[in-house]
Formats: sequence, C-alpha cells, structure tokens
Amino acid sequence: MIEVRNVVKTYGKGPSAFTALNDVSFVVPDGTVVAVVGKSGSGKSTLMHIMSGLDHPTSGEVLVDGKNLKEMKRKELDAFRSTEMSFIFQSFFVQGNESCYDNVALPLEVSEVGYRHRAARVRKALEGVELSDKIKQRAKDLSGGQKQRLAIARAVVGEPKVLFADEPTGNLDSATGEVVQELLFKYAHDNKATLIIVTHDQDLADKCQMQIHVKDGVISRIDSATSKQADEGSTK
Amino acid sequence: MKRIDILQRAGRNLRQAKGRTFLTALAISVGAFTLTLSLAAGQGARQYADNLLKNNIDPQALFIVKDKSITSTDTGSGLKEYSSDLSAASGASGASVAVKMMTDEDVSKLQARSDVKQVVPIYSLNAKYVTFEGNAKKYYSPLTYYDATTVSEVMAGSLPKLGEQIGDDEIVVPEQYLDTLGVSAKNLIRKKVVVVAAQAVATPSEAELQQAFLGGGNTAVEELLKPKTHDYTFTVRAVLKKSTLSFVSSPRLHISTGAAKDVYVYTTTGTENAGKYIGVTALAKGDSAAVKNVLQKKYGYSVQTAKDAQGLLFTFVNVLQGIVAGFAMLALIASVFGIINTQYISVLERTSQIGLMKALGMSNKAIGKLFRYEAAWIGFLGGALGVGLGLIVGWLANPVITKALDLGDNRLLVFVWWQLALLIIALVVVAISAGWFPSRKAARLDPIDALRTE
Repeated sequence: MIEVRNVVKTYGKGPSAFTALNDVSFVVPDGTVVAVVGKSGSGKSTLMHIMSGLDHPTSGEVLVDGKNLKEMKRKELDAFRSTEMSFIFQSFFVQGNESCYDNVALPLEVSEVGYRHRAARVRKALEGVELSDKIKQRAKDLSGGQKQRLAIARAVVGEPKVLFADEPTGNLDSATGEVVQELLFKYAHDNKATLIIVTHDQDLADKCQMQIHVKDGVISRIDSATSKQADEGSTK
Repeated sequence: MKRIDILQRAGRNLRQAKGRTFLTALAISVGAFTLTLSLAAGQGARQYADNLLKNNIDPQALFIVKDKSITSTDTGSGLKEYSSDLSAASGASGASVAVKMMTDEDVSKLQARSDVKQVVPIYSLNAKYVTFEGNAKKYYSPLTYYDATTVSEVMAGSLPKLGEQIGDDEIVVPEQYLDTLGVSAKNLIRKKVVVVAAQAVATPSEAELQQAFLGGGNTAVEELLKPKTHDYTFTVRAVLKKSTLSFVSSPRLHISTGAAKDVYVYTTTGTENAGKYIGVTALAKGDSAAVKNVLQKKYGYSVQTAKDAQGLLFTFVNVLQGIVAGFAMLALIASVFGIINTQYISVLERTSQIGLMKALGMSNKAIGKLFRYEAAWIGFLGGALGVGLGLIVGWLANPVITKALDLGDNRLLVFVWWQLALLIIALVVVAISAGWFPSRKAARLDPIDALRTE
C-alpha cells in the first residue's frame, strides 16, 4: 500500500517559486493498476519521482507498506528501491552498447543477487518479453518496441512489488504500444504487484483500475473503475 | 553492488569506448615507458658499479688518509695549520693543495695493529723511462704496484693466488702495450724490462761541492749536480687482459710492493716527500665499518671502506636516475589531466545511464566507484603498455648498448620484476586519484535531472 499524505513540492524560492504539487493526498492499495493522468507540466512526473523516493517532497510524506520514505536513510532507500521498486521510462534508457543480458542483469547486480542465480532469472525475464533469442545482441540493434520490452525485462527481473512506468508507450506506435501495455498488465496481475503508469493517453488510463487526474499540481479527480473492467484490461 | 560486478562493468564500459580508452592509456604509457627505462638503467648502472667494485676492491679494503680533504670533495678553507707532515699534493679539484701526508710512523703504527693486515702505503711511483728486451726504444710508462686483493685475467703467463704478491723481480704488463711494442703476449713472457728511476736532485752542501772540486775538478762537480738514476730490472711474469671492469682507466706496469718501496725510497730520497704517503691501503679483519671507527677515533685518520666507495658511485647513479625519473613524472602529470578530461566527458555522455542506475537503487558510492575503477583500468592498461614497450625496447637495445659502450658481459638495462609490478600499481593509484573528481561529479548527479536528459 502506498500512502501519499499532503505532499507539496515547490521548486525555487521567493516570488519565482513554482509549486509543482500542492497538497496531494491519496492511497493506492496493493496490487492496483493505477494511471496518473495529466497534461505535460501538470506535475504527474514529479508525483512519480516523489512516490518512488527519487525526489523528496517539500512537505508532506509518502508511506510505502507503512514505511515513511522521509525517515529512511539514503542507504536504506537505495536498497529499498533496488529490491521493491522498478522503473520503465518513455525513452527506454537501455544501454545500447551492452548486450541484452547485461542490461537485464544490472538490477540484479545492484541488489547483490548472487552470480549463480542471475543467469536463470535474466533468461526468464527475457523469455517473458519474448527476447530470448536476442540475449547476446547489443541493445542498440533492437527496434523501439524491442527496446521497451527489454526495459520491461530489466524492470521485472528483480520481481519488484511496485512498478513505475513513465509514459511507457509514448515513443511507440500503437501496435507495439499495445504489446508493451499487455506485458505490464500481465506482470502486475501475475505477481499481484502495484503498477503505476504515468501517462497522458486516456485510452491507456481507461484500462487501469484507478485513475488519478492531476491538473496544475492538484488532484482534480480520482476514478476507481470496477475490478471487472480492470481484469478485462489485464487479460486482453 | 558488489565490487567485482562494478569492476566488470567498468571494464565493459571502457571496451565500449576503445579508441578513447586506448589514447588515454597511451598518454600514461609514455610516462610508464620512461620510468621503466630509467628504473632499468639505474638498476643496470648500479649492478655495473657493483661488479666494478667487486672486481677491483676487496670488500674488506680500507683506504686510510690523514687529511679528510683527500677523500671528500670538500676542500675546506685553504688556510691550514703548518705541521711537518704537511705536503703539497694534487687535490680533488686538480689544484695543488697542502694536505697532511701519512708517514712511515703511521704505517708502522697500522702494521702493528691486529685488526688490519696487508698495510701498504700508496707509493706514487715515477719512472724516468722503461725499456723492453728486444726493443731499442725508450718508453714512458705509468708505474704502479701489484694489487694482491683482486684477481685479474691474463692473456699470457700467470698470476699468484689471491692475496699473494708477485716476486720482487717480476713485472706485469698490460695488454694495451702489445701494439706499441709490436710483440705478441706469449713472446713477451720471461722477457726483461728495465725500469730507470731518477733520483731527485738534492742541492749539495757547500762542503760537498768543495770536496768534489778538490777531488775531481769541474767534472766531479758536474757529476755531483747531475741527477742520479738507477736501473731496476724485472722479468715479465704475465700480460694482463684488458678488462671492462677495470677500475684503473689507463694501462700501467705493475711491480711488487717490495720493489715499489725500493723505487719510491730511491726517487724521493732527499726530497720533502721522503717517507710520506698520500694514503695507506689495508684490509680490515672482521667488520670493516667497526675497524674504520676505531682508526678514526684513535688516530684521527679519515678512513674509507669499500662500502663508502660504493656509496659514492651509487649516489652518482641515483642522481642521474632521478633526473630521468623527473621527466617521466612530468609526462605522468600531463597524462593525469588526460584521465580527468576523458572521465569528465564520459560522465557527461552517460548522464542518463547514471540516472537510470540511481533509479534502480545503485548507491552514490557505487557510482563513484564505477568511474574510479574505469580510471584504474586506464591506469593499468597504460602502465602495462608502457612497461611492455620498455621491456621490448630494453630487449632490443641491450645488445647494441653493450657493444657500443664495451660493457663486456654487463647489461645497461636491467629489469626487476617487483619494481615493474610496483610501478604499475603506483600508476593505477595515480589514475584512481585522477578519476576522483569525475567520479565525484557522477556520484553527485541528481537522478531526476539525469533522467530528464535526452
């Protein structure tokens, strides 16, 4: 469960100060697929950064499974992020010069998974995104859709409980975007993981169980779809 | 993140920028190469000096003088208290300076001691000319006495066992004389050599002059004023082979210490140098340093041991080596900036990668390490490259240098494995410290800013 309590984020000081988030509060239950919807500059990305502990709120707090991110030491927070969370970005951020294997192995190295257990998990993750045949290929030789699938494999290899996806389909055509969406929903469903998708794509948002609409730094609306709809989305 | 994983990632990152890595490493390798050769040359020179000393000086040898200015380069002030054993001698600077000489009394004092043996004063010998059997010409030749503390190679004839003198009627001729004399070494053995020594002209007293005039007239006076000479006849015992390890640069004739004493006494009689020696050589029994201390304390002599002489030579080698190493250091300093620059660019290029790694929970510390290890790899590559090139050049150049400098069996470039290993380690450390600034920049990058890039 992720609790966001009265989060305020201000950039700059004095008259030029800009408030990106203004008193935002909500609760995301475990295993929910959430869409954070809003136009660019609405503060949705900032919200994601604060929920993941990458950024700190100016005031207010975020609790993940009852643990207050603000009270965690940097080392704990790093460890927490490496084992409990993962990310998918609009521009993939795969390492073009590295092999697919090395790309996917990075989170396992960071969370200090023993060398012997890594290979099997990397292979399984690549199988999940149907990139098994590219295991030794360099990531830069992949197509856009393949790169994002590789990024998904990298995100899920550590089996995180919370998966953040920042405009995961933003750089993809609709067909490959569809595949990526399905992979994300499938992971969340199969692992009962919380999936938080930041997007401005209402079609994608409509497939999520919960929609948090952000506008000018405040939450304008929270829609909770029925679980039936969500299940349809995840198995589609 | 585990160290080994960071190290592997660092190596992989470098492989992805092969050209840049190679060029940066090349800059370090220049310094490493120069340092390798300077280390090798220093080692070679020290070994050569060591061989030189071992072949020429008994480790127990002592060189004893009364005046410190002979053994030290410091000549002190020119003004000295007069004493009867003060005599003019050539100082280190070549100028004639008054130095305190060792006297017969000093020699017998030393000979009486039980902690030294083979006490021989340094006879400075002067022959007017020498003649060789079967050759009508008169020659000038430097003369010295045979050193029983070292063994030299012979071309012909034989030398006595170590520590034994040649006979008083025997002489040893250097190889270099054969050309001038036009004979082979074998043919020279057992030939006679006559050394003609001249006595210094003593000013006769008035009474002596009068007596001579009364006895033989003008001719008798002339006879009295003419310098007297004496012929010393020797048999050639051996011809010395020219040695690359010889301490004495110019070739000379060798006679026994006994004969040398006779010649010295004859040539100096009536001069103020009679019974005076610039120094005395001796062999210490037991610890030479301890004997040195005793002699210095008890008699006020200045004593040089074989080790001291070695130290003097080594200082010279070390200074030369230091100069070369200094230039290598300059090259290294230049390459340090190369590493800093390369790594800064690398951090800028990989901003998004750094952001991603941070988002995945990689700690700032691990990120810093990643970049420092990359610098370490560059340092290692550069070091290995430079040392490798140095070894190749040494391997190729050694025979040429040895031939050009006529070093015999000696090598000028001597590589010591532990020195080279230490050099590479030191370069890795230097590279890591050069990589510190860029690595700090990477560690401090804000992941959100970093992920916004693109």
